[in-house]
Amino acid sequence: MLGINARLARPKWLALLPSPSLRTREAIAAYLFLTPFLIFFSIFFLRAVVKAVDFSFYDWRLLRRTIPYIGFDNYRELLDDEIWWIALRNTVQFAAMTVAGTTIVALAAAIAVTQPIRGQGFFRVLLYMPSLFSVGAVGLIWVWLLSTQFGVINYGLSFFGIHPINWLGDPDLVLPALSLTTIWWGFGFPMLIFIAGLQGIPDHLFEAAKIDGANGWQIFSHITVPLLRPTILFVTVTGVIAQFQAFGQPYIITNGGPGRASYTVIYYLYQMAWVAFRMGYGAAVAVTIAIIIAAITAVQFVLIGRRVEY
Amino acid sequence: MFKRLALVSLLLVTLVATMVLSFSAPTIQAQGDATPAPTATPIVAEIGSGGGIHISFWNGLTGSDGVTLNEMLAKFAQDNPDISVTVEMIIWNTLYQKLQTAFVAGEEPDVFLLHASEIPQFGSFGVLRDLGDQYTSGGGWLADDDISATTMSGMMYDDTIYGIPLDNHGRGLWINTDMFDAAGISTDPATAPTTFEGWVELFQKLTLDGNGNNALSPEFDAENVVQWGYTVGEWPNVNFIAALYQHGGTFLSEDGKEVTINSEAGIAALQQEIDLVYKYHVSPPSAGFDTWQGFGAGTVAVLPTGTWYRNQSLLQTDINSTAWPNWQFGPQKATWFGAHTFMIPVDLKGEKLDAVLKMIQFVSENQVDWAASGQVPARLSAQEALDPATYPSNILLGQTFSEYGVQDPRSTVTQEMLTYLDAELSAALNGMKDAKTALDDAAERMQEALDRG
Repeated sequence: MLGINARLARPKWLALLPSPSLRTREAIAAYLFLTPFLIFFSIFFLRAVVKAVDFSFYDWRLLRRTIPYIGFDNYRELLDDEIWWIALRNTVQFAAMTVAGTTIVALAAAIAVTQPIRGQGFFRVLLYMPSLFSVGAVGLIWVWLLSTQFGVINYGLSFFGIHPINWLGDPDLVLPALSLTTIWWGFGFPMLIFIAGLQGIPDHLFEAAKIDGANGWQIFSHITVPLLRPTILFVTVTGVIAQFQAFGQPYIITNGGPGRASYTVIYYLYQMAWVAFRMGYGAAVAVTIAIIIAAITAVQFVLIGRRVEY
Repeated sequence: MFKRLALVSLLLVTLVATMVLSFSAPTIQAQGDATPAPTATPIVAEIGSGGGIHISFWNGLTGSDGVTLNEMLAKFAQDNPDISVTVEMIIWNTLYQKLQTAFVAGEEPDVFLLHASEIPQFGSFGVLRDLGDQYTSGGGWLADDDISATTMSGMMYDDTIYGIPLDNHGRGLWINTDMFDAAGISTDPATAPTTFEGWVELFQKLTLDGNGNNALSPEFDAENVVQWGYTVGEWPNVNFIAALYQHGGTFLSEDGKEVTINSEAGIAALQQEIDLVYKYHVSPPSAGFDTWQGFGAGTVAVLPTGTWYRNQSLLQTDINSTAWPNWQFGPQKATWFGAHTFMIPVDLKGEKLDAVLKMIQFVSENQVDWAASGQVPARLSAQEALDPATYPSNILLGQTFSEYGVQDPRSTVTQEMLTYLDAELSAALNGMKDAKTALDDAAERMQEALDRG
């Protein structure tokens, strides 16, 4: 029977070359496994990224016959663009509310469904289910739930004598309302990550704490949270990256309104590129968003990552 | 054990409470057996089975108007068995985007329907075929004098005719006649007020709070309105354009190079809309209120909508309603209207071009059938042939377009300008900005777009 070493035996012509080390051979094998992905990544993603950076230096309108090179003019205009700053402020607020809310709800849900309760599997499926919906379906569901005229939420509040609240029409409430929608939609996946993280904490640590007389909160704050830091880091980093790219919610639910109270940076990118057809300017917006997300991610790694015990 | 029980109970109670609330919440439609099931518009329709020439046709007729056009095309395919048509109905904003990318990729349809206001933009790109040869002045079949001068001007860009108009569609009011009767107001359109004050009084009579007081009553509770007289949220830029012209303003300067919406006329026009919400309390703010659903559920008395509402009114609500001409808030009459227009890519040639032109001619010559969509046929001869008993709203509103209709501004950046205007109108109509600030901010952005060209 041929062993793996025999099958990987070097051809005779290769014998003329110096024999690579085991480490090098492993690296070559790893890169060979990565090659199919890297080919697709380069063609369909990396090339697009490079082109987007390139486009950001042109005044490119989709069907216009000339595409003048304008250097950094798109970026200069962006820095002076009042709407961009409104969109960025909204996005930061939305991402902060949503990431914090999602993390808390997902952790609470994960703790709840890891308790040895009857119907544990049922509740896990039930709580994860919203994550399976498309943003279109989620948007339509929440437009109805939050409706001033026919919404279930306002209907429930009416039993307490509260007049209908214009969740999507009040500039102070629209971002929290979109954030609530997104938390409901998105906490399922981080919940799964937290479940995995919770299951990775050795039981003897909890048992030892109980023997030492620690109460539930002390166990949570001194054992559960510290040992979940890598998970929390993952959830918040991926959450910020996702929420900075929020588009479907304002597009479907509010159209960015009232006024520009729910404009997000990606919604603004869409407006510039696909309504105004200013593709060059849209590309500059996209590149700037990517830089901001990268910077925030780096800060998160520094602030949370250095306290992580892997 | 107790904790576990409490946890399971909490999860179950939440689940049950959510379901109970969902099932017991108020329904959208007033209950009634008479409401027929809505007719879904197919997103892609394959019309005709001819193996010969195949036409691809894109349009934004995603409502019941799409059904009407497909029925007309089915007759065309029956008369022309060698031609088949694939119709793709795409929501308008997406259609503009898809068309641009399709032209870049060389995958454009053989014929498409846009609004006349988009002709300058697509005309400036050089992607449209000159259709002047289809009019009698160019040796073609369509009599120039069968199209109104206003509509005809919309077909042109840089002295070239790029479009063949299908219809005029525009602003009109739909009124709930039961609410009018209850308030003791005549439903005869001839009795409609002709001043802003008159309209405010009409809306006040029709706006009711939870105790049954109307907005003229000193006991009226503006925090607990159950029936609105009016709603400002239905396509605000169309309302604004009409009111702007009613006050003697214009959208652009005469040479088309300067945005003039923030004139005194513009500010007066927008202030009236704001006052309807915050001073007179006869309309909800524009955001967060579904106007069509409100009218369909019997909570709005006057719906500012348009010709396209005919089938919605007839087929998809059980509200007793009728069409009225647009309101008059300023010293002179004006109402907004547009035109759905056939356009052909410049590169279309040969027998496919012949087939497309044949199809357009067929639809144009049968425009009376198009009135079933609710829209007003573009050809004057078709307008005159409409049966008043069958098409009262088409005739009533069509006359207002002919007499005092105004259209979107004609510019290569109209869509971009309207995007900026929409956001500022929304800010003003939701109490975030005053009329002057909103219009100044909009005008500044729109001017930048206009200057970029």
